[in-house]
Amino acid sequence: MPQRLTTGAMGARTRNGATPEYRRIAVFGGVYNNAPALAATLDDVRGRDVDAVFCLGDLGGFGPHPDRVFPLLREQGVLVLQGNYDEALASGRTDCGCGYTDPRDNYFARVSYAYTFSRTSAANRAWLATLPGHRRAQLGAHRVLMCHGSPRVINEFLWESATPDGLLRTFLRERHADVMLCTHTGIKWDRSLDGAGRVVNVGVIGRPENDGTPAVWYTLLTATPDVEVQFVPVRYDHEALAREMEREGLPVEFAETIRTGWWTTCLENLPAKERARGRF
Amino acid sequence: MKRPLPVLVEETVGAPVAPFLRFTALWIQITGTWCNLECTHCLNASGPKEPWLPVMEAAAVRRAIGEADALGVKEVYFTGGEPFLHREILPLLSESLRVAPTTVLTNGTVMTPAIADDLARLAAAARYSLEIRVSLDDVDPALNDRVRGPGAWARAVHAIRLLHDRGLLPIVTATELLSGEHPSAPGTYDRFRDFLRSLGITKPRVKVMPVFALGRLEAGATAKLDEAALAGFDRGLLQCADSRIVADGGVYACPILAGLPAARLSDGGLAQAFRPAALYHPTCVTCHQTGMSCRNA
Repeated sequence: MPQRLTTGAMGARTRNGATPEYRRIAVFGGVYNNAPALAATLDDVRGRDVDAVFCLGDLGGFGPHPDRVFPLLREQGVLVLQGNYDEALASGRTDCGCGYTDPRDNYFARVSYAYTFSRTSAANRAWLATLPGHRRAQLGAHRVLMCHGSPRVINEFLWESATPDGLLRTFLRERHADVMLCTHTGIKWDRSLDGAGRVVNVGVIGRPENDGTPAVWYTLLTATPDVEVQFVPVRYDHEALAREMEREGLPVEFAETIRTGWWTTCLENLPAKERARGRF
Repeated sequence: MKRPLPVLVEETVGAPVAPFLRFTALWIQITGTWCNLECTHCLNASGPKEPWLPVMEAAAVRRAIGEADALGVKEVYFTGGEPFLHREILPLLSESLRVAPTTVLTNGTVMTPAIADDLARLAAAARYSLEIRVSLDDVDPALNDRVRGPGAWARAVHAIRLLHDRGLLPIVTATELLSGEHPSAPGTYDRFRDFLRSLGITKPRVKVMPVFALGRLEAGATAKLDEAALAGFDRGLLQCADSRIVADGGVYACPILAGLPAARLSDGGLAQAFRPAALYHPTCVTCHQTGMSCRNA
């Protein structure tokens, strides 16, 4: 049986008997069926002296063999919350609820969801239904709120160049949090709000982040008087994954992204600044 | 001149309502219905003559941006009329970009190299994205100009090139108005993407809007939403559930109904307009049926 990475929430101290308290945590989003990247991420985390590992949802989509990621997460004690993909699979919806509006984005989203839906076991779909929509933790003195898209909408895109400080302050104030962690967009960022809190999009480990390298990213957060945020790149056998995607008949555009690190699909909802940085 | 908020607008009596769930988008009807073009399908019958909805004062725009910032707005849109006819459009875009990602909807026909340079400078200096949406109704000049007026196609395409050359990645906004003119060709979306690629644009961005029975196309549209039609429908998906529109004289529920008394929700305060909106207009049927949003994505 694989060694668990951490003692998880059970080993964490609690304050007022409710919110688990940690000193250092690892957080990632968007596994997207990418079991090799998940395994490499968990291997990397093992040497980082963390108290708990969190996944902010979207286990499926994009990659091959959806059922392969579930045992890795469960056996190694990762604390998972529900993303839009997980919610859709759990409830038997006919689309992923990704939140795209563009026809080309939606075409590839449908291909990906149909593949994942037909290959995710009933038992794993039932497990997805048990996941919470949000998680809270204490990181040192800081109240941490974790969500998938945003605290208000599971599939809301919080891009770095399209998410105002005023909105983030409102989220933190209304949700009584000092630090907010989200994912969903696929590109990481970190923002300090001049004493009003900290918001981190932790990125995803399922596909590269449109920067021309095949690496994927997760985030380490450490309690200091402030909160220290470290983005960690993870390399894995992406070529083997790309070949497997091709064998499974997934779109060649998906495999190209895995190999090159440039997004080829689901580009149309990128804001101008993020779109300008990519190749396509 | 400040117009009093009507206590009861007959058109809304008995109409179903959409809840107000969250404040996502602020729309600013900056030039009212003042436009240099007079398109046959214009949603709010804008044109070059005396606008029926006046141009906004810059101070009112600034107040709205400040209030929206305090209320946690996510994105700001400038529309009209033609926004680039407003003498303070560039400083106002700059101020908006200090607060939130900002989009401006233009017909592109008054774009100049100097304005495009200014926009590129604004975009580069801002932490948030600046989006420029350029309206075009067909890739064929003659068909487009039949709708938008002589010379409109050439000037809009010139604007697209000016913006593209400066790295601004314009979003070309098309309607389905002329799709019937291309029965054997690809759909509107693919036709526009192919056209933009033919111009050398490597990252073509296209948004297709349905045609609304509104403005100059309003005559004859009578169907309205009722509770039966909305049964089982999530009204939170409607744009009026998370957007508000500031125009001269008030705050409205919908970008394409701005200026109409029955769509007015407050005399000027944004927060006072955070209340349910009546789905009273025939155009609400189009939103319900198509799931469309005027937002970029």
